[in-house]
Amino acid sequence: MSSRHPRLGLPARNNKRRSMFEIYLPIAELSVNLLVILGMGGAVGFLSGMFGVGGGFLMTPLLIFSGIPPAVAVATEANQIVASSVSGSLAQWRRGNVDIKMGTVLLIGGIVGAVLGVQLVKVLRQVGQVDLIISLSYVTFLGIIGVLMLIESVRAIRRVRAGGPVSTRRPGQHNWIHGLPLKMRFKHSKLYISALPPLFIGAFVGLLAAIMGVGGGFIMVPAMIYLLRMPTNVVVGTSLFQIIFVTSAVTILHSATNQTVDVILALVLMIGGVIGAQFGARAGQYLKGEQLRALLALMVLGVCLRLLFDLVIQPDELFSIGPALGGH
Amino acid sequence: MALRGILTLMAVLVLYSVSAFAQTPDNPIRPLKFPEQIESDLSSRRIAIESNFTGEQIVIFGTIENSKQTDFEPGLYDVVVAVRGPRETIVARRKTKVAGIWINTNSLKFGNAPGYYALLSRRELKDVASNTILTAYRLGFDNLGFRPIGKNVAALAADGLKDFKDAVIRIKQREGLYIYDPQGVVFVGRNLFRATINIPANVPVGRYATDVYLLRNGEVLSHRRSDLRISKAGFERFVYAAAFDYPLLYGIIAVIVAISAGLLASAMTRRD
Repeated sequence: MSSRHPRLGLPARNNKRRSMFEIYLPIAELSVNLLVILGMGGAVGFLSGMFGVGGGFLMTPLLIFSGIPPAVAVATEANQIVASSVSGSLAQWRRGNVDIKMGTVLLIGGIVGAVLGVQLVKVLRQVGQVDLIISLSYVTFLGIIGVLMLIESVRAIRRVRAGGPVSTRRPGQHNWIHGLPLKMRFKHSKLYISALPPLFIGAFVGLLAAIMGVGGGFIMVPAMIYLLRMPTNVVVGTSLFQIIFVTSAVTILHSATNQTVDVILALVLMIGGVIGAQFGARAGQYLKGEQLRALLALMVLGVCLRLLFDLVIQPDELFSIGPALGGH
Repeated sequence: MALRGILTLMAVLVLYSVSAFAQTPDNPIRPLKFPEQIESDLSSRRIAIESNFTGEQIVIFGTIENSKQTDFEPGLYDVVVAVRGPRETIVARRKTKVAGIWINTNSLKFGNAPGYYALLSRRELKDVASNTILTAYRLGFDNLGFRPIGKNVAALAADGLKDFKDAVIRIKQREGLYIYDPQGVVFVGRNLFRATINIPANVPVGRYATDVYLLRNGEVLSHRRSDLRISKAGFERFVYAAAFDYPLLYGIIAVIVAISAGLLASAMTRRD
């Protein structure tokens, strides 16, 4: 009530327009337009519904572009991914497409990676390099993935135009992975392989989740298919299963260590994401897969270039200020 | 309550100045045993940052008692208003180009910097008082009182230090957190004045001091301080406090909320 004190009827000099849609984000410490954030959540949700991807790798840069501090964007996006991967993996679970044992091994690695990543973010914040490292990670991964996806989808489009069948590469039977120790049997995936590669993949993805605010499906799914040679039907469900727990761990660790999770922002993104994903999944049914993937690849490259541009172009203000964080 | 209190105060102040004027029509210069004094207050002493907070304006108003001002064109007195937010430690960083990209390379830590500083006066500060007075009363951006701390201070040349200091003030000004308005104090009639102060949405929370100084011929005659408290309120306060006081619990609740949202979404959208 105290904010509604009379202003003595005096004319306000700088009459800011107050929109009823402005909301104040308590952790990001700025006001944003509710509709803009809902729209962003919806648009990324639409894309992830259409392409069947997590969307964290698009959402985090969008949040950064709209002025949310990168560390807050990363931690908050991890929180949102918990929600989207829960609903995604439930659908996979009902179809029996989750290899719990493989998921658990990936998860153990993932927790280790998440702990390391959150500590790394803490140190980087203290030395003032966290924004740079987040941007560089995005430029690297979005660049690589965008180019690979573009090449793959252009080839697929050409093949379809040439009238040939869309070939699905069959993984071979043996590779160097089979020479490693600590072998385990994964019945659901019909595999008998060392636990080390999934542990390592899990740890790498956990590290990315903590630093970039992504689920890491874009790394884990190809690694499971091409390195672990898992059957494709369990790959998506198992990676979503791992993502729930790793992004949960990242959310809790970032909260406890860096206090960078904005639950209000996360909640708005969740609502937008759920609605968007529904429409996206329906729209995806009427569009051709190869062209969709080419479109997504172009979008990924666009975000990558924008981030690269911001790093390379001389900023108007060379100085920045921030609160002093502990240590040093 | 607050409205009535402020209106009553305003009425008393106005009546007081009118009666003072009426009593001395033929003797405008009062004897020195009645020195000039300043009385002032704020339109609100508490600002609550809630979910719809996009910034706020507060009005500092007051009157000069025992004024010797005879005509309605103000000129005899200067009123300077300074609003100082809680002190904080700020790190300033400078980017340089390394291998083609712009990277933070130098940094300097400043202690004791006000998180918010607004200075309003009737005319340019340099015309109001000498540097000695301005320094003594910590008025103006040259007298913010923040000092560099840490081990890399000695390594910086004096001009490097100035670059960092100027940058802090420049960025804070751009964020609306440091304000200098030499036309910000407006006289209404002979002795009544007011100043409107912008509090932006990104304002740091805490205890603020608003100081009002009455000056004549570069000398401070009277000084009045009122406290202002800015705090997060409602659900925002709760979320902010939870995040910093119980960070682990906050994280766990954030995850529970997300899992519930995911379950709810899949229950709502399940059609098979």
